[in-house]
Amino acid sequence: MQTPLSMPVPVLRLPRGPDGYSRGFAPDARRALLKPEAPETQESPRLGESLECQEQRARAVQRERYLRSLLAMGGRQVSFTLHEGVRVTACFGAADLDVANFYVSQLQTPIGVQAEALLRCSDIIAYTFKP
Amino acid sequence: MNEWMKKTPLEWQDYIYKEVRVTASEKKEYKGWVLTTDPVSASIVLVNFLEDGSMSVTGVMGHAVQTVETVSDGDRRVREKLMHLFMSGDCQAYSPEDLEKRKNSLKTWLEKNHIPVTEEGESQRTICVAQVLTIEPPYGPENCISSNEIILSRVQDLIQGHLTASQEDNRNCE
Repeated sequence: MQTPLSMPVPVLRLPRGPDGYSRGFAPDARRALLKPEAPETQESPRLGESLECQEQRARAVQRERYLRSLLAMGGRQVSFTLHEGVRVTACFGAADLDVANFYVSQLQTPIGVQAEALLRCSDIIAYTFKP
Repeated sequence: MNEWMKKTPLEWQDYIYKEVRVTASEKKEYKGWVLTTDPVSASIVLVNFLEDGSMSVTGVMGHAVQTVETVSDGDRRVREKLMHLFMSGDCQAYSPEDLEKRKNSLKTWLEKNHIPVTEEGESQRTICVAQVLTIEPPYGPENCISSNEIILSRVQDLIQGHLTASQEDNRNCE
């Protein structure tokens, strides 16, 4: 007698929702957490700037620099250090906006060369390139 | 989520231009001058100056960062180098008159292409397109900032077209 097959469980893959700690999105966006109004200070513009403004300015500067560093990496040979001591090199193509995946080409792995590939950023410890 | 990822942009900012030692997952260690920390992924970008005068750039992914320890505060020379690294369009190469000329010529070009533009920021240096894209001096395709990549790409193409057209004009004049 055959054992009945167990019902397959459907796998529903949804994009991960915001966890409340994520950063980099507009503070006045629809999905942003509600925050108490910061008291406006009417002193000199830079000094009296609210903490939120300073933070947003710092965030913008650092994000722009990071994006420009990724831009400089485009088309270059990048060496990736992955977990378990795996090192691979590839030609960098692009990253998605929340830096979850890197798109690379000519990925040189220990078992051969992959023409096009997506590297999960959670698998990467560090990457190095020469500008 | 590790300690490093929980920091705020203002805390990360304190590390910029400093020499640090980063310990990451699997006992990996990285040393270098901090260029920036990505506020979205908390990845640190380190720069090392090699003996042959070239540079090497290392990014340590935010999720892998365990500790970050400041080694030295850095000097003016390193700061100067890092400040302009990867930043496009050095405005210092242009005189204020040149910049004004470039801005007006680009504004006219965009208006000719039926794109609504306004001027914003200190001394009206920034061109703002339809409230969704800004163009900073010296007004090249790489100086466009927008969160809408479709508009960004269209306007960058337009500016590239404008640059090509004006270069051809110059050549015809000569």
